[in-house]
Amino acid sequence: MRRQLRSRRAPAFPYGYRYRLDDQDEVNQNYLADEEEEAEEEARVMVVPELEEEEEEKEKEEEEVEEKEEEEGQGQPTGNAWWRKLQILNEYLWDPERRMSLARTGQSWRVMIRPFAHSLNFNFNVSEPDTWQHYVISLNGFLQGYNDSLQEEMNVDCPPGQYFIQDGNEDEDKKACQFKRSFLKNCSGLEDPTFGYSTGQPCILLKMNRIVGFRPELGDPVKVSCKVQRGDENDIRSINYYPESASFDLRYYPYYGKLTHVNYTSPLVAMHFTDVVKNQAVPVQCQLKGKGIINDVINDRFVGRVIFTLNIET
Amino acid sequence: MVGGFSILLWIGAFLCYIAYGILYSNNSSVSLDNVYLGSVLILVVILTGVFAYYQEAKSTNIMSSFSKMIPQQALVIRDSEKKIIPAEQLVVGDIVEVKGGDQIPADIRVLFSQGCKVDNSCLTGESEPQSRSSEFTHENPLETKNICFYSTTCLEGTATGMVISTGDRTTIGHIASLASGVGNEKTPIAVEIEHFVHIVAGVAVSIGILFFIIAVSMKYQVLDAIIFLISIIVANVPEGLLATVTVTLSLTAKRMAKKNCLVKNLEAVETLGSTSIICSDKTGTLTQNRMTVAHLWFDNQIFVADTSEDQSNQVFDQTSRTWASLSKIITLCNRAEFKPGQESVPIMKKVVVGDASETALLKFSEVILGDVMEIRKRNRKVAEIPFNSTNKFQLSIHETEDPEDKRFLMVMKGAPERVLEKCSTIMINGQEQPLDKSTAKAFHTAYMELGGLGERVLGFCHLYLPTDKFPETYSFDTDAMNFPTSNFCFVGLLSMIDPPRSTVPDAVTKCRSAGIKVIMVTGDHPITAKAIAKSVGIISANSETVEDIANRLNVPVEQVNKRDAKAAVVTGQELKDMSLEQLDELLASYSEIVFARTSPQQKLIIVEGCQRQDAVVAVTGDGVNDSPALKKADIGIAMGIAGSDAAKNAADMVLLDDNFASIVTGVEEGRLIFDNLKKTIAYTLTKNIAELCPFLIYIIAGLPLPIGTITILFIDLGTDIIPSVALAYEKAESDIMNRKPRHKKRDRLVNMPLAVYSYLHIGLMQALGAFLVYFTVYAQQGFLPSALINLRVEWETDDVNDLEDSYGQEWTRYQRRHLEWTGYTAFFVGILVQQIADLIIRKTRRNSIFQQGLFRNKVIWVGIFSQIVIGLLLSYGLGSVTALSFDMLRAQYWFVAVPHAILIWVYDEARKLFIRLYPGSWWDKNMYY
Repeated sequence: MRRQLRSRRAPAFPYGYRYRLDDQDEVNQNYLADEEEEAEEEARVMVVPELEEEEEEKEKEEEEVEEKEEEEGQGQPTGNAWWRKLQILNEYLWDPERRMSLARTGQSWRVMIRPFAHSLNFNFNVSEPDTWQHYVISLNGFLQGYNDSLQEEMNVDCPPGQYFIQDGNEDEDKKACQFKRSFLKNCSGLEDPTFGYSTGQPCILLKMNRIVGFRPELGDPVKVSCKVQRGDENDIRSINYYPESASFDLRYYPYYGKLTHVNYTSPLVAMHFTDVVKNQAVPVQCQLKGKGIINDVINDRFVGRVIFTLNIET
Repeated sequence: MVGGFSILLWIGAFLCYIAYGILYSNNSSVSLDNVYLGSVLILVVILTGVFAYYQEAKSTNIMSSFSKMIPQQALVIRDSEKKIIPAEQLVVGDIVEVKGGDQIPADIRVLFSQGCKVDNSCLTGESEPQSRSSEFTHENPLETKNICFYSTTCLEGTATGMVISTGDRTTIGHIASLASGVGNEKTPIAVEIEHFVHIVAGVAVSIGILFFIIAVSMKYQVLDAIIFLISIIVANVPEGLLATVTVTLSLTAKRMAKKNCLVKNLEAVETLGSTSIICSDKTGTLTQNRMTVAHLWFDNQIFVADTSEDQSNQVFDQTSRTWASLSKIITLCNRAEFKPGQESVPIMKKVVVGDASETALLKFSEVILGDVMEIRKRNRKVAEIPFNSTNKFQLSIHETEDPEDKRFLMVMKGAPERVLEKCSTIMINGQEQPLDKSTAKAFHTAYMELGGLGERVLGFCHLYLPTDKFPETYSFDTDAMNFPTSNFCFVGLLSMIDPPRSTVPDAVTKCRSAGIKVIMVTGDHPITAKAIAKSVGIISANSETVEDIANRLNVPVEQVNKRDAKAAVVTGQELKDMSLEQLDELLASYSEIVFARTSPQQKLIIVEGCQRQDAVVAVTGDGVNDSPALKKADIGIAMGIAGSDAAKNAADMVLLDDNFASIVTGVEEGRLIFDNLKKTIAYTLTKNIAELCPFLIYIIAGLPLPIGTITILFIDLGTDIIPSVALAYEKAESDIMNRKPRHKKRDRLVNMPLAVYSYLHIGLMQALGAFLVYFTVYAQQGFLPSALINLRVEWETDDVNDLEDSYGQEWTRYQRRHLEWTGYTAFFVGILVQQIADLIIRKTRRNSIFQQGLFRNKVIWVGIFSQIVIGLLLSYGLGSVTALSFDMLRAQYWFVAVPHAILIWVYDEARKLFIRLYPGSWWDKNMYY
């Protein structure tokens, strides 16, 4: 009963988004640089009024206790240098605010590709439409939400190159930025309704996993780049990226969660493999490149990269 | 390592490997989870097995120190040479020589003897030395004088004999094999634990199979269904419980050892608590095993002497001049002496050279008069006739200590009637008076009365020899008897008994209030036996035997209504003529029974009779011949001091101080441990539901798995072990010695209310609380409970790496797995927090925690502390070990289940309150476990 009540009165954000669970294997090189961001997030804690009140009270209480448990809690206004050092050490060992231990954490890019067919191996025969038809159907279905008419009707065209920050009450509906299907050009399925599969030049769409409140690093936009993972570099030869910048624009961030950010459309980068070696399995690794981007985690193979194989028969 | 739960765990481990094998054959990169689990299960089985073995071995080791025997040597004549060889090399036909102090190396027929006396007590229970000679005197080998038995001791003299049997073929060997032939029955606690294992295993297997079928019919793969089956079994089996029970029992065993009850067999700890009949020996167990002056008769009056262990409180009238004369006779007419060099030893503990009655008299007079040896010195002994069985008196002649008085004083003690024959006068109030009929009658009345108390009575008389006939220089000749032996002056009577230990009457009363029947079984004379039984309360003051009633009403015994009598004294002879039915009737119809003049074999019959009444029988014994009875009894109790090795071996428990009262403390401990085991089991069972529900919900509602199998093992074998042992330290809730012993078949360790209350009340509450923590964690990470339902398949698919949560966030499989582990940890912490409340409520079953005292049992707090520390270690310390599936948990989640824990406490307090308020009500019957 209580559960249902709670879900009806659910907050706009998962309470834990600030503490998004993450693998501890990623090394956050920007640990110190994060301090700023943390302060910002700290401020956000103050504007979460619609959480169940009792819940919030409890949390506060708990946080107090938590500080006690950590023994050297923060907020002890003392000029003692040793104290500060201890505090830093303590935070280094275990930072409860960001669920960070030994400075390993990170909200980072996790990516996934479309079409999705229960496997990351794309095997098909160009001359047999049955072997690739389901990819096309999957892509078509996926891109329905990106139709230009729909995007124009529902979403706004916002200025590129900067965050689309919408302040105000958290449970107010948020506007979303347009991402039009036509941005994908040859991979939009508008001109070639088979997305290149009928010609042995498959399109694969890369999208980033949505994380509420996540903002990529400021600076150069994050670029996508694919290459052969193992084997001959020339097996792929050429790839076209759409949009041509091969990057995720900052205007699509942050994401406010599907409850208020209803029409949010994830930005995509389409990869058009125009000249892949045929009749052999080609392992492809698509990585995100940019400042502070982690793309080599072994345990979670979707952090900043995605690996799949193309096996196109003719 | 194979019985009970272990077999379930073996099956689980086996299934794990099969599952892995099948998965591996399909896909070689399959995760090792099943292998980890299988190995952990096997490890658990082996560890608990080794642990139980170690605990048993430890307590058996204590015993082995007892049975250490010096290798026996025998002096044998072979090839016309005297050789010393180890006793086991003797063969039939060897000629061996034994001398005083030796142990007889085999059964031998005496060929030649010189003043040889043997102590057959380890065989027959009679401690009187028996002389051995070469004459054949009886058909029965046990009675004839020309056989010495293996393992008895030769006290004095020498003997030469021929070996007639060796080793197991000796009489002792036969008895020993009789003892081993008596089946060793399962202890009540073993039966209880087996019963409990059956219940839990039954629940585990039936739920497991039920859900296997459900899973299969829900179109799960058979392999998945098998894995569910394993998890359900693991969740249901309280892996740590048997180890906990062992530790608990051995803790109690240790505590009992401190109170002089050494427990050989751990399970016997509890058996003692459920004892409903104790068959006790008399000598040494109920009594002090030493003769003590109990009554005096002089001046026509019976006085009572102090028979307590130190005899310091002698209150009878010591002003009469008759007493002065009597005390002089007691002091002088006595050959016993203290061994020199014991000045600092209290009188009662001094070692005396002399027989039992003389020792008693010596100590008695030493206590009252002071230095006896000095008195004897002042009254120099000039002649003496020692006691012998034909004279039945002892006589000695002394100079008086008064230098003016040149008369000799002749003092005599002996069998009262023989002494009286030699008297013509009697001393009353210091005046000699002629012994007339009325005084003789008074004497007889007193004699009968004292004899009726089962006491050994001695008469004392003296005579001052006139100086004219016996001048100072007169030389007395004890052979020629050149002095008068009649016309003595009778001074008084003195009676002795082996008095009961002062703690025994209290202990017997305690037994009685605890509903335990105490039966005395002794080889002694019925009158003595009855007297002791009365004095210790085995026959209570106001109950009568059939014979007593007959005497009182002055009618023949046959006319007395047997139902009027509560007590019975049965002799071995009567017992021999009884059929089994008659014995059963006897045991059932009398509440106070004394068996006297019984042979050791009859003890076995009595024990069997008691067991037919569905009683749990404790038997005490010391001789080799007691060992079959000790073995047959539900709990055999051997005497640590007087007991033979065979008895100690056959027994389950050894009383280090031979004191009956120690048994009672043992009973108390045994009852306490039964109660505390209930608490431990209730505590342990509770969380099984909380561990089981996740799997059931997982299968039916398709939530991401709330708790992993390995996490469950960490609760069962990690956080919960110390707290459940801590419950063993709980004090009794009420006077456990005021209730009846538990009925073997009705009062189970694990009964319906216990199972229902633990599983369905507290267990379900706990499960709810743990789910609350689980849902909180998931909700705060973005998965609201409604989103979790039926998420299982997508959740567990490795290729889905952008699973959307309730907020539109997308999760990779790797992230989900970590969230799942965090969920495990959250569920674990939820259970842990509520188990703390569970631990506290289990301190009592009826009383409020506040009546019991929250802080009286410090070990409980150690347990809670250990729980928290282990929990913290697991979630924060081992969070990065993949195989353990723990993950760090934000500290605040530790407090989510706290309100639930408090609710559990309040709920249980309410339960106890209603039980106390409405005893006997429906609530009491169904909610009290």
